[in-house]
Amino acid sequence: MVLQIDKRPANNQSKKAHLAETEKLADPDWAWSEYQPDTQRPWNIAQAGHLYRRAAFGATWDQLQQALSDGPHRTIDKLLRPQGDIGEFNSTYDEYESSGTGSVDGLRAWWLRRMVLTPHPLLEKMTLFWHSHFATNSGKVKNARLMRKHIQLLRGHALNSFREMLKGISQDPAMLIWLGAEANRKARPNENFVLPLMEIFTLGPDKFTEKDVQDTARAFTGWFVLRSQLRYISREHDANLKQILGQKGNFTADDVLRILLEQTATAQTLVRKLYRWLICETEEPNPKLIAPLAQSFAKDYDILKLLEKMLRSNLFFSPAAYRQRIKCPVEFALGIVKPLEEVVSTTQLAQDLADIGQNLYHPPTVKGWIGGQHWINNATMAGRHNLALALLQGSGLYGDKLNPRAVAKKHGCSTPESATGFLLDLFLQGDLTSGVREALHKTTGTPAYASDTEPADTVRRFAHAVVTLPEFHLA
Amino acid sequence: MDYTRRDFLKATLGTSTLLSFASTTPHFLVHSAMGAATRRDERDTVLVVVQLSGGNDGLNTLVPYGDDEYGRNRSTLRLPTEKLHKIDSMMGFHPRMGAFARLYKKGNLSVIQSVGYPNSDRSHEGAMRIWHTADPDRPNCQTGWIGSAADSVWNLKTTNTPAVFVGPITQPFALNAEKAVLPSIRSLDDLIIKRMPGDSQRQNSTFGESNHLLDFLRRSTLSAYTDSRRVEAAAKATANTAEYPSFHLADTFRTVAQLVRADVGIRIFFVEFGGGGIGGFDNHANQLGNHCALLHQLSESVAAFVNDLKLDKLLDRVLLMTFSEFGRTVKENGRRGTDHGAAAPVFLAGGKVKGGLIGARPSLTDLDSGAPKFHTDFRRLYAAVLDRWLGFESRTVLGRQFEPLDILSA
Repeated sequence: MVLQIDKRPANNQSKKAHLAETEKLADPDWAWSEYQPDTQRPWNIAQAGHLYRRAAFGATWDQLQQALSDGPHRTIDKLLRPQGDIGEFNSTYDEYESSGTGSVDGLRAWWLRRMVLTPHPLLEKMTLFWHSHFATNSGKVKNARLMRKHIQLLRGHALNSFREMLKGISQDPAMLIWLGAEANRKARPNENFVLPLMEIFTLGPDKFTEKDVQDTARAFTGWFVLRSQLRYISREHDANLKQILGQKGNFTADDVLRILLEQTATAQTLVRKLYRWLICETEEPNPKLIAPLAQSFAKDYDILKLLEKMLRSNLFFSPAAYRQRIKCPVEFALGIVKPLEEVVSTTQLAQDLADIGQNLYHPPTVKGWIGGQHWINNATMAGRHNLALALLQGSGLYGDKLNPRAVAKKHGCSTPESATGFLLDLFLQGDLTSGVREALHKTTGTPAYASDTEPADTVRRFAHAVVTLPEFHLA
Repeated sequence: MDYTRRDFLKATLGTSTLLSFASTTPHFLVHSAMGAATRRDERDTVLVVVQLSGGNDGLNTLVPYGDDEYGRNRSTLRLPTEKLHKIDSMMGFHPRMGAFARLYKKGNLSVIQSVGYPNSDRSHEGAMRIWHTADPDRPNCQTGWIGSAADSVWNLKTTNTPAVFVGPITQPFALNAEKAVLPSIRSLDDLIIKRMPGDSQRQNSTFGESNHLLDFLRRSTLSAYTDSRRVEAAAKATANTAEYPSFHLADTFRTVAQLVRADVGIRIFFVEFGGGGIGGFDNHANQLGNHCALLHQLSESVAAFVNDLKLDKLLDRVLLMTFSEFGRTVKENGRRGTDHGAAAPVFLAGGKVKGGLIGARPSLTDLDSGAPKFHTDFRRLYAAVLDRWLGFESRTVLGRQFEPLDILSA
């Protein structure tokens, strides 16, 4: 098989185009318009890989090829609204989760497995996003059943209505226990939930006063978690007048959520956070860019619609987004697993991911995983390298599930030479200069330099070298 | 060991190591990495925090034998005066803590007496949480003091790991950070980058169109490789030289010493002794034997650690401090044990400790629900190690300025 792949235009040629594009990107109309491939901005394997890194956990070779022939519009259709029985897949996994050992360790493993095998990866990608937004740590909750329900709640709303999700979260026992808000007495309004509700989940910092927090806490009085169950005790509700964000009334918790969702700051917080997750984490987006999306999001809080706008946009397929994020540990590991078309032990993987900073079901604080450059330090970098080795070495904790040579062969690249080219395209969509390719071959002992005669080992070494390149940590 | 740290660096990190990265790395990166490798701040200090889990009985650790109340309250647990390692006419170390007594006499160990905080929490979890968060007033505080310290010094110029937990158990909450990812290290292997068999010297990085994040990742990859080599070399260099007793705790200290020697920029090490959960120092019944064994292990292991560092001329850069979530009741409980108390002593070891006893001796009659009262707020100790020892800003970490305790020699 011949690997004929469109490369992105070389540096010099594209400089002028880039400049023009940068100007255009500042214009919200153009930035959020649908990307239409042309000669300047062709649809190629690099763009397809980019899309699958952001809207999924990486792609198989077939997915990349299919994307190339489908074009961006259809590929995004499939990611947003995939064919097939998603409901059945998810209810099967829900069952696995509830019938398993019932430990949070088990839940972590099932979730990772779901991420790898799901026919709807965007749903899991967004569940992970919400897990960091509504960050709840099992270490405090200490109840696997509640944690399972918590993640299920996030998954159930992950692509639907933020309004409904927020309502669910405000009545979620796991969340309330985690924040120390199990008791909301009339005589002692509890601010432990309402403060993060305003500061982190909706409005953002500096958008409300201490008085707003106090009165919001009063509106939430009457809600309790007793024996792991949500309870409303009406005699504990403070029904008196409150003033919240300029509105006056005998507000209840429901009223508070309505008021919070009426604020433009809420939609802005979410659009900004999603921008960082899906598009770019290196630069704060211009408020002008955020405004139109926030405005339309605030109308219905339809998450899928917002994602669709972002994923289809010129901005998403521009250099302002391309490789402008650092993979979180889950993305790093699944970015190795997914393209190799097998599942590894996710019990082990969940533990290894915890060791490099992303312990599922245990985000460090209510602010979630801050991520970005914080993911990386000398120890986590060593951890990422060693995890990649464990996954790819063909023996040990992960066994020989992942076999880069076999995957290359399956797709028509049987010689070690063609296999290495294939792997570069599979993992990095060829985003390397020829000098680096040469150096890679040299250091891993690929064909011309091979000192051993076992091609499978050569290919494993090569795959490991590719996924430990600095480039591979970029999403 | 007859080489100095500088020799060690020269030996383990010759230019050849870095040049091997050079083929595909932009020059300025190689340059700055070499700079970083040879020009680490000589004054970089290291803090080792040792958690004694379960609530250590301070009165049977540093024993107030001169106080009649001690014997009166401890009918079965009283330690025989003649076997104590006396440091003055009032106090003496536990009979099995000869090593601590020797360190004390040499001025490498000091004791802060009666350390605690107002309204002592008597539950293990609550009290431990308070020592971990350094925030008794906010039981829902979500970050630990070491985690906050790590966040407070984060900057893009370095990818060093500011603090680590060394041990096999779940990472103690003290290291919970909002932003930083602080690793748990079970062995040096966790910091050594392993290669596949047959993989030759790995090139590090690549040219190409530049990207701010990519440069950062190149630097950190290079830096992780450099650290990996340092750790590998440190592991080899001292595998059989320094002598440690065969306790788990001693092994952990050996690992810490190797990492200090490797000079990879870790400023805070957190070590746990006693098992993390229930057990350990929590001796409600038949305390004598178990407590004795723990104190012996602690004393011998710390002494071996101090000795190892001293031989390598590293002791002046290291400060070790112990803490326990609480002390214990003065009066024994009828089951040859003691119950949860309040204040307890903190032990400091290192080349720059002030030496002697710091703070007021616990009164055995003026008590806080049956246990010695606190005289010194533990956050003054944290302030001292953050501000004066590590050069961090305790105000940022602790939320307000506590007056740093005077614990360091001039």
